[in-house]
Amino acid sequence: MFNETPSGGPDQGAMLGILARARPERLKALAETLLESMGEIAVLTNRTGLVMVPMRDTVENVDFHLGEVLVSEAHITDAAGHIGYGMVTGRDLERAMAMAVVDLRIATRGEEPVTKDFLSEERAHLVAEDEKRMRQVEATRVEMETF
Amino acid sequence: MAYVATRGGEKAIEQAERLFRQDLGTIDAARVETIQQTMPYLIDRVMGEASLYSEELAALALAQTGGELSEAVLVLRAWRTTQPRIAIARPVQQDEILTQRRISAAFKDIPGGQILGPTLDYSHRVLATDVLEGKPYAPPAVESAAKPAPATQPSLADWQREQGLLAPTGEAKVAPEDIPDLTREPLLFPASRAHRLQSLARAETGGVLALGYSAMRGYGNAHPTVNELRLGEAEVVVRHPRGTEFSAGRVRVSQAEVTSKEKGGFLDLGFAATFGWNEVKVIAAATLDLNSAEAPVGSPVHEEFYLYHTESVEASGFCIHFKLPHYVTFQSTLDAMRDAKAKKSAAEQKGAVERQTEPAE
Repeated sequence: MFNETPSGGPDQGAMLGILARARPERLKALAETLLESMGEIAVLTNRTGLVMVPMRDTVENVDFHLGEVLVSEAHITDAAGHIGYGMVTGRDLERAMAMAVVDLRIATRGEEPVTKDFLSEERAHLVAEDEKRMRQVEATRVEMETF
Repeated sequence: MAYVATRGGEKAIEQAERLFRQDLGTIDAARVETIQQTMPYLIDRVMGEASLYSEELAALALAQTGGELSEAVLVLRAWRTTQPRIAIARPVQQDEILTQRRISAAFKDIPGGQILGPTLDYSHRVLATDVLEGKPYAPPAVESAAKPAPATQPSLADWQREQGLLAPTGEAKVAPEDIPDLTREPLLFPASRAHRLQSLARAETGGVLALGYSAMRGYGNAHPTVNELRLGEAEVVVRHPRGTEFSAGRVRVSQAEVTSKEKGGFLDLGFAATFGWNEVKVIAAATLDLNSAEAPVGSPVHEEFYLYHTESVEASGFCIHFKLPHYVTFQSTLDAMRDAKAKKSAAEQKGAVERQTEPAE
């Protein structure tokens, strides 16, 4: 099964999910602002690569590989050894790096107003986008009757 | 065995490629973006067959091959090999997919209900020729429901198991890093279920459709009914170095289950899935899966037959290699033919002479 190592909890998972799907230009602008007061940062990794996505078959519960997704990854560290990490689907190294910068900032200083507001706004945007789409999807619900 | 060197070929080959690319004109980011924005189902098909999810790169592949699908898939598969595999995501499960289309032809009252989603199933297929007369087609807006559809829908197969309609099954026990992987190991027969489903996921749509259709028309063992068709978006769940699982984004996926008749007290079920929204492919592929168990060797629904023959890069590559120089091979065929003719002619002449020398009765 998927390796169940200790994690930062569901809140951190949700935060990272929001950063990964945040509007790219806003995310990059935030990272630029934060970097000014973050001191020396070393880049451990900034690359594109593949994530293999398995899926579970519903007939025999067998996991099989659906295919690979192109992702961009960034892994950074500050002088104290704290790490920041970003991974986003697609080919955008700057976006992955911006995510890693925000992640590092939150890891070292907790949620400040600037990051808290950003996450709140982006979460609201993503929820609104999903709701808009799923209201359209709901309009296609059909009740089947046999005669 | 011998090879024939062709003098002057280098220049002709270069000009041939130039001619192909000249016909397509300059490829720029705007063209790629237009393809990506306007051809989502074509992009989905190419990504599925390439086994590489990147809408941008699929659009680029289509742009630089002029929409020659075999070439587009080939160039994407080749590019894929230049990239490192960073991680294996958490397995996608049916009831976690952001579901935007979900229908069943077998059960009208499925838990969660039926949602048509984006489809032309019930539409007249009329070509919008007015567009060519300068009247753009602007689609009417969807009249949204007051409440959104649930983000996820339950697994129909799980519900059917609870009702005793499907055979019970065990828990998935294979770690993601141990899942059989066709990109790292050869396809051997009988294939593992993981290999079969991975191979179908990346199979060529037209090939799968042709063989699946042959089964539907009667050349298989089972006529399919769609148990569930589902189109949606799956989260790509990866792990942060600190251990936290998170979604790096979403990918469009299609799944189909098809059923047929009772077998051993339970409904028989076939399954297939692929990247992108490509429901013809997954219904046909699930039909092949459904038919596999009792398929005679050599029939279109035998797994060795359909998995080998729907592998797009191998199939198209083998097909197009026949137009490359085969002069020596063909020369030997000609030599054999001429030799046979010469021998036959000699035998006939000899026979004629012998007949002439036979004494008259």
